[in-house]
Amino acid sequence: MSEHTPIHKLGGAKPETGHFLEFLENPAHFLLRAYHEGGELTEIDLGGMRNVLMVGPDAHEAVFRAPDQQLSAAAPYAYMVPVFGEGIQYGAPLELERQQVKMQANALRASKMKGYAGVIAQEVEDWVANWGDEGEIDVVTEFQALVLRTSTHCLMGTEFRNKLTDEFGALYHDLECAVSAEAILDPYGAGEIFEKRDRARARLQEIVMDVIEERRAEGGGKEYFDMLDTFMGAEYVDGSKLPDEQIPGMVVWIMFGGFHTSSNTAAWTLVELARNPQFVPQIKAEVDQIFGGQSGGNLEYAAMREIPMLDSFVGEALRLHPPLCTLMRQVMQEFEYKGNTIPVGDTLVISPYVSHRVPEYFPDPERFDPGRTPSDNVFAYIPFGGGARKCVGNAFAMLQVKAIFCALLSRYEFEIVGDPEDIVDSMPSLILRPSDPCRVKYRRRS
Amino acid sequence: MRLKIDLKLCQGHGVCEDEAPEVFRVVEKVGAYDHVELVVEEPGEELRPKVELAVRYCPNRVLSIES
Repeated sequence: MSEHTPIHKLGGAKPETGHFLEFLENPAHFLLRAYHEGGELTEIDLGGMRNVLMVGPDAHEAVFRAPDQQLSAAAPYAYMVPVFGEGIQYGAPLELERQQVKMQANALRASKMKGYAGVIAQEVEDWVANWGDEGEIDVVTEFQALVLRTSTHCLMGTEFRNKLTDEFGALYHDLECAVSAEAILDPYGAGEIFEKRDRARARLQEIVMDVIEERRAEGGGKEYFDMLDTFMGAEYVDGSKLPDEQIPGMVVWIMFGGFHTSSNTAAWTLVELARNPQFVPQIKAEVDQIFGGQSGGNLEYAAMREIPMLDSFVGEALRLHPPLCTLMRQVMQEFEYKGNTIPVGDTLVISPYVSHRVPEYFPDPERFDPGRTPSDNVFAYIPFGGGARKCVGNAFAMLQVKAIFCALLSRYEFEIVGDPEDIVDSMPSLILRPSDPCRVKYRRRS
Repeated sequence: MRLKIDLKLCQGHGVCEDEAPEVFRVVEKVGAYDHVELVVEEPGEELRPKVELAVRYCPNRVLSIES
């Protein structure tokens, strides 16, 4: 890395706010504009905060390999602390947070996936059972409702899923409404969204604690195979147990990691299936071969992970529409990159949305093409981030999306209502989703 | 078979251990993420199919076969 790549200063900054308003309008589109103007390294001004957008595999690798003490994830995401709770994730010291990440990873280990596959398959079956021969759905809402059920079921168990999914969903919604531009500026400010957030968080604490207390009272007589069970048995390295009152925060955290990311990936996959019908016959044939054209009732994890054409299709949807379009790190110790010294206090921005559109790695980047050859460079394609902070729910997410599409493709054909090209990347919150309206007509396969 | 492990990318998911316990184990590490370790320095050829699965399914792409 001896060559010097200068950092381009992005034009169009407004007095005081810099590029902040343009960023909020649609972070994905803003960052893509910054890259087109500035290339690999571009300085942007978010209301007086200097950010450097770093694009491409070299940049990803440098950032993902840097230690937490040098590039902090906790600092730029401080607004999540009142959502997850004190003592959890970025509200905990780095050393504990790392152990909590491991507890999350343990709840999502390959050995647990078989159990989740059963639950997910059942939920997907129940969901699709009353679709009838034809109809129309709102894609985003439909997948949100489904993924809320699969998530609460895998996380909290059957009883909770049957009784409390709706309340849990509503409370969760109040939490996520508070993850907003205002929160980034001051997460402890006054205002209705913050009051709602704090009420919702308190109520979530209660309903999760109720389940924990019930289970503790059973004295281990009953076996559970959900994530809550993993958390209830989790220990820090010093042998102390994860305190029960921290568990609700772990539940909220894992939901934030997996809920909209998975549901929007499913939504985009359906949109791309409907608007790229030329790829559908092969994928259907593949799904039919594996499931015999039957329902997805016996979706086993082992079979799930070997559906090459469906995998590539979902992978391409994730390339063009990565749900998390920015990953941020704050510089805590000077950071050297390609002849630049980036000072303490700056924020580095990595954008899967932008990096997945670098033509050197993804020729004709806007074209949807599931047949692309994966780059040899492991840092070119980063829908789940990378390095030691990579998403730990990768396998769970893919399991979920694939279960959904095995069930759907074995039964139905899809067609977008209106002009398919009207559906574009939209960011009403910090997660990328298809724009409204996004409706699809389905008809039972002949 | 010679293997390469890129420990800076490892989060200790344990997928490799599930695929090929004869070759990989995940060890706890104080002050860092758990990470993978080789049980045998140079695993025998008979384990190649299992190692290939571990390489393929490692979510963080930590592992590669050198020879």
